[in-house]
Amino acid sequence: MTDKQENRIVFWVFLTPILFAFLMVIIIPFFIGAFYSFTNWSSTARAGATLDFVGLTNFTESFRDPSFIYSFLLTLIYTVINMLAINVTAFLLAVFVTSKLKFKNIYRVGFFIPNLIGGLILGYIWQFIFNNAIPSLGDILPGLSFLGDPGNLVLGNRSSALMALVTVGTWQYAGYIMMIYVAALESVPAELHEAARIDGASNVERVRHITIPMIAQAFTITMFLTLVQSFKQFDVNVSLTAGGPSSMFMETPLLGTELLALNIYNTAFVRNRMAMAQAQAVIFFLVLIVISLVQVSINKKKEVEM
Amino acid sequence: MKRVLTVLLILAVSTAAFAAGSQDGGKGGSVTLMQNKPEIDPQLQAYGALWAEKTGNKAVMKSIGGSSSVTMGQQLRADYAAGEMPDIFIIAGIEDFAEWESLILDMSDQPWVNDTSVAFQVDGKTYGFPVAVEGWGMAYNKDLLDKAGIDPSTLTNYGAYKAAFEKLDSMKDELGIISVVSMAASAEMGWVTAHHNFNSLLSNGLPYGDLSVTNDLIAGNVDAKRLGEYADWVELLFEYGDKSILTTGNYDAQVGAFATGKTVFLHQGNWVDPNMEQANATFTMGYAPHGSMKADTDGIFVSAPSYYVINKDSKNLEAAKQFLNDMVYTAEGQKFMVEEAGMLPAFGNITLQPDGQLSKSVQQYNAAGKVYSWNQYNFSGDFRDQVLAPIYNQFAIGAIDKAQFVELLTDAFENRQ
Repeated sequence: MTDKQENRIVFWVFLTPILFAFLMVIIIPFFIGAFYSFTNWSSTARAGATLDFVGLTNFTESFRDPSFIYSFLLTLIYTVINMLAINVTAFLLAVFVTSKLKFKNIYRVGFFIPNLIGGLILGYIWQFIFNNAIPSLGDILPGLSFLGDPGNLVLGNRSSALMALVTVGTWQYAGYIMMIYVAALESVPAELHEAARIDGASNVERVRHITIPMIAQAFTITMFLTLVQSFKQFDVNVSLTAGGPSSMFMETPLLGTELLALNIYNTAFVRNRMAMAQAQAVIFFLVLIVISLVQVSINKKKEVEM
Repeated sequence: MKRVLTVLLILAVSTAAFAAGSQDGGKGGSVTLMQNKPEIDPQLQAYGALWAEKTGNKAVMKSIGGSSSVTMGQQLRADYAAGEMPDIFIIAGIEDFAEWESLILDMSDQPWVNDTSVAFQVDGKTYGFPVAVEGWGMAYNKDLLDKAGIDPSTLTNYGAYKAAFEKLDSMKDELGIISVVSMAASAEMGWVTAHHNFNSLLSNGLPYGDLSVTNDLIAGNVDAKRLGEYADWVELLFEYGDKSILTTGNYDAQVGAFATGKTVFLHQGNWVDPNMEQANATFTMGYAPHGSMKADTDGIFVSAPSYYVINKDSKNLEAAKQFLNDMVYTAEGQKFMVEEAGMLPAFGNITLQPDGQLSKSVQQYNAAGKVYSWNQYNFSGDFRDQVLAPIYNQFAIGAIDKAQFVELLTDAFENRQ
C-alpha cells in the first residue's frame, strides 16, 4: 500500500463518522422538516389524524398570524441592538486586555467565563438579579429608591425586558467575541503603529486608520456569529422572560418578548401546530440565510489584503 | 498500515457498542412512566426502585414540567415523533385525551376502578387512573386573620372579601405584611391566572360537573353579568396583590411570600404543602372559597388534577397495569402516594392521611361535598396559555383597565378558533 492510498483511507475513515452524524442530525431532518411544512402533520395520536398535503397553507397562515409577525419584527430589533452591544463591548474589552496591563490573562479568563455557563442557567440567575437583587439595592441605597418601585421592575416592562435580554446576551457572548478580536489585534504588525506614531498620529487616529482596517476580517466573523446567535436566541429568552410581559399587537394580546425561536417553539409545542411551526422554521431559515449572506458580502468588501 | 488497522479496529469496536446500545433490554416487564410533578421526583424514583426490586421488573421514572415553558405535553409530542412513547403517562383532561385518544388503553376492567369516584371516564369507559385529589381556594393565614378580627368562615362572596381586603390593607404595618394577597400573573405563571383563576368563572357556585357556563363560552355565548362579577374579583386580587410578585414573580416568590407570613392569602392549591414544610411555616392555615360572585359560594375547586393512562401499544402492558394496581393495593404504594408524595389519595380503600394543613382542609371540603369542579381543561392549552394568559397579564401590569379586560375576554370567547 502506498502512502497516498493509506492517506486516502485514513482521510475517509476519519471523515465518515462526522459525515454520518451530519447527515443523520442535520441534512435528513432538514428535508423531512421541509416536507412536513407542506402537510398537516401533528405529532399526536388524535383519532382520525392523517397526513395530507395542504400546499402553502402553513406559510400563508404564518404570515397572517399576529404573534409570528410580531416576533419577527421584535427579533429584527433585538438582533440589531444585540449585535451592536456585543461587538462594541467585545471590541472595547479586547482593546483593554491587549493593552499593557498587569494580570491581563486573568481579565481575559474572567470575561470569557460567562460563555461557558449555559444560557438557561444564566437566564435564571439574571432573573433573580433583575427581580430581587436590583429592587433590594434600591431599598438599601438612598437616592436609588426608584429601583425598588414595582413599576420600575426591569422584567415588568416590555422595552426594559428586551434590554434585559440584550444585557444578558452581551454578558454571555461578549467574552467569546472578545477572544476573536484579541487574536486579530495581536496580529496587527507593531511597525505600522510605530511608523504612524512617528508621523504624529494620535491614539484615536491609529485605531481608526490602522487597527480597524487591519482587523476587518475579524469583523466579518464576529458580525456573522453575533447575527446568527441573536437571531436564534432561545434559551435565555425562555428562562429570563418566558416571553413576558404581555403586549398588544394588531389588536391581539400576545407575549411581548417572545423572540422568533421561542415563538416557533410555542407554535409547535403549546399550540400544537407542528406543521405550521415547521413552515415558520423554513421561513426563519431562508430569511437568516439571506441576511447573513448580505452581511458577509458587505463585510468582505471592507477587508484589506496584506 | 498499522495506523489503518488501529483506526479500523476502533471503528469496529465503536460500531459494536453502538449496535448493542440501540437494543432494548428486551427481557419484558420494563415500565417507563412519565409524570408532571417534578416536586415528587425523588420519592417517585425511590418508589420505582422499590417496586422494581419487589416485582423483578424494570422501572424507569421520568418527571417533566414545573413551569409553563416546558410541559409534559411537549415532551410527549417529541417522544411520540421519535417513537419512544412511555408505557404510562399523564393526561390532564378531555383535551389531552383527544390528543392521544388512539393510543390510550381502556382500563375499565381494572380492580382499582371500583375504589374511586374520580377516575377519568369517557362514554362510560374508564381510561385514566386518578393520580390524586387536589384542590385550591384562597389559602389563608388564620393567625393573621385572627389578629385583624376577621372570621374566615364569613369569606364566601365578593363583598365579604372586599371588606376584609380593605381592612387588612389598612393594617399592613401592624400585621407586618407587604400585601394582602400573594397572586402571580407573570408570563411563566399563566397557569395561576389562565388555568386556576379562570376556573372560578367556569364553575364557581355550580353543581359538581355542571358544564353549562363552560359550554356556553365554548359556543361563544358570554354571560355578561357572570363575567362582570368575575372581572371584579380578578381586579380585587390584582389590586391587593404585591406588585412585584404579581408582574414578575415566579412560583417560589409567590408561595414564599405567604409561607413567611408576608401576605394573608395565597392563590394556590394544596400542592404547596411541602413548600410550607420546607419554609417552616407553623401558622394555622386553611382554605376559603373564592369570592368571584356576589352571591355566596361555600366550596373550593377539587378534582383529580391528572390521570395516569397506559399506552395501548406498549410492549409491557401487564407490568404497566400491575404498577398502577400496586400503587393502590400494596402498603408500599399507598405509603408512597400519601406519606411520601404528600398527595390526597383518590381511592376509598386507602386510610392513610397526609400531614399538610392545606391538604387536610381540601379533604374536609371534599368530605362535606362542598366542592366545585375543574372545567378549565375543557379549553385547549393553546387557548389558555396563548390567548387568555396575555390578557390577564395585560390587566395585571396595568396596561388595560377592567372594562378592556372584559372586552378582550369577550372577544376571545366569541372569536375562539
